[in-house]
Amino acid sequence: MRPFRSIALLVAAVPALAFAQGAAPAQPPAAPGSDTTAPASPSPAEPPERQRTQRDAPAVPQSTPEAAPATPSAPAATGEDDTDSTPSAPAPEAQAPAATPPADAPVLDTGEAPRTTDAQQQRLVNGAPLYNPNVNVHIVQKKRFADEGKHELVLYPGVVQVNGKFTNHVGTALHYVYHLQENFALQVGGQYNWYSDESDFNLELIDKVREQAQAASSLLLQWGAHAGVEVTPLYGKFAFFNNSLAQFSLVLSGGAGIGKTRHLIRPEVANEVEGQTYQVPARFGDTGNKFLGEVGGGFRVQFGESYAIRLEVRDLIYTARVDKVDGCNLADFEALEAARAANQPFEGLNLSGSCKVAKFDGVDPETKKNYREDIILGRDLVAEPSSDVLNNVSFYAGFSVLF
Amino acid sequence: MKARTLRVFAALSLSLTALGAAAQEDGVLDSAVVRNRLYKPAGHPELSLSVGLPVQTHLTAHYFFNAGLAYNLFDTFALEARAGYAASRHTGLARSISESFLDREDKRVTDELEDMWRMGLHGVVGARWAPIYGKISLVADIPVHFQTYLWAGGGLTNLKRQSVIQCTQVVDRAAGVCDNRTAVDDRGSATENYWVKESRVAPVVSAALGFRFFIKEQHGIRLELRDWIFKDSYRVNLLRDDWEAGNPTGEPAGSPGLTHLVQFDLGYTFSF
Repeated sequence: MRPFRSIALLVAAVPALAFAQGAAPAQPPAAPGSDTTAPASPSPAEPPERQRTQRDAPAVPQSTPEAAPATPSAPAATGEDDTDSTPSAPAPEAQAPAATPPADAPVLDTGEAPRTTDAQQQRLVNGAPLYNPNVNVHIVQKKRFADEGKHELVLYPGVVQVNGKFTNHVGTALHYVYHLQENFALQVGGQYNWYSDESDFNLELIDKVREQAQAASSLLLQWGAHAGVEVTPLYGKFAFFNNSLAQFSLVLSGGAGIGKTRHLIRPEVANEVEGQTYQVPARFGDTGNKFLGEVGGGFRVQFGESYAIRLEVRDLIYTARVDKVDGCNLADFEALEAARAANQPFEGLNLSGSCKVAKFDGVDPETKKNYREDIILGRDLVAEPSSDVLNNVSFYAGFSVLF
Repeated sequence: MKARTLRVFAALSLSLTALGAAAQEDGVLDSAVVRNRLYKPAGHPELSLSVGLPVQTHLTAHYFFNAGLAYNLFDTFALEARAGYAASRHTGLARSISESFLDREDKRVTDELEDMWRMGLHGVVGARWAPIYGKISLVADIPVHFQTYLWAGGGLTNLKRQSVIQCTQVVDRAAGVCDNRTAVDDRGSATENYWVKESRVAPVVSAALGFRFFIKEQHGIRLELRDWIFKDSYRVNLLRDDWEAGNPTGEPAGSPGLTHLVQFDLGYTFSF
């Protein structure tokens, strides 16, 4: 029963809070230090309970209650929200503490008086002084910049794979985000990995112990495109030392799309022909397009109204089954290898329609590399069809423009 | 546990419905920074306990258990001593390599694999710099104060290494057995193995990026991404005939590089 009671309370509390916040403009301005809780007997004159919790002075009326007009209208300087458990609304009898308030402490207008006048107004509801007209209940007070209805273009110049056991990827991504609501957005994005290769670890295994990852486990992602949603379940702010304010949001994203994959057939090698050495670049085989899932999370730190920095970790998940390389399956490779061994032409071989036989025939005019030598390597990749679900977890560092 | 999970999910679901957004209409607030910090750790010692899990495993996996004692010189700066033990093991990949390589007699000269040292007891002293203090609104009505910090320091660690290449006494080459198990398929019955083992004590450097979330006055939760770095060491040009005869072989690698053990640390902090 307890969980259901909690949920019911929560369901009831959220709209209530939203209502209370939404009604804020009609209310008198927030008293400073309006966080969630206030002590039952708020009295700024009391010493702080804990020496460690040294906070600056809460809102202090600079005038006596008697001097205040009955109707509050002019907004007081709105304090931020970091006084959490301190009395946030001064009692009528409150006097300024002996300590001089800091320069940035919010101050009520001289003509304004505290308005917490009766027990009902001081009553706490779920720890919040909801009936106190001087208190606008916020945890982290209103976001300085609203996102709803805004477009956001995000460029991630550097996308670096962080879980590369058998593969390494480095790329660039571009995302477009439309903020449908304050904390819900639609996104589409694309990513191109301008570096995707097998890891040094995999090459070390090949070199030292003649082992390597299964083809499906070392599948490389060339590019990906996906669409999905983004939510910002929480936001906050922070100070770097005491100098500057930054507003940030936790962003969580999810989506689906498609990605193009490839596999290393042969690493870079030196080819010696007639006494001359040619550097032959690594060769990759096309392993087709795969379904792509995307989940991620990170921080968006906003600077001003139009700019933000994003630091995120995203996982591109794709299923990998390698049974064809450059469209050729095992039977194709067997036929090609037999023809190669017999030094026969490939024309007339009974190959599958998708097999790009031209990629395994002929000699590269620049490096003099005979492509037929790669047939055996291609066959090795599909000899034991392998499948895996790959998680390509990358760190995304980028900046965005909101408009 | 179920109740808590339900509460969290319910709260999260509600927060995602953007009900709160209605309350965030167009009001622009003053530009005050996070004012009046609720938690000021300056001048207070603190005790912390943490558990570290590997972010990624190749041939070894480590699980760190640490205790730390820190003193906050300022709100943003502290000195901390950490000590603990890292439980470690070979991964399944390492075991698979060790078993298959026994039978790969075509490879008679090779090098040891990199990054095979495993940490044990360790102790480091470092500095923690927390220039960022902030707060977040957690599920709409729970304020959470936090610090973001960088940690750097150094110390000593006990290291051990067990080869997956050099077996000094091959029991069953085809089955990849290099121990005294009672049955070929009963790995658990082995009480001793014959892989080449080494140990040493070496300097270690540690660096971390972390978040410290304050819970009430004296408690805190720390989340860290921590890297343990020490110099690698392995032998090259090993001869199969020599190592299988139980003789030392090869020579130390010229530039073995550094080993990084990146961990995700979850910790608890008590401030006095």
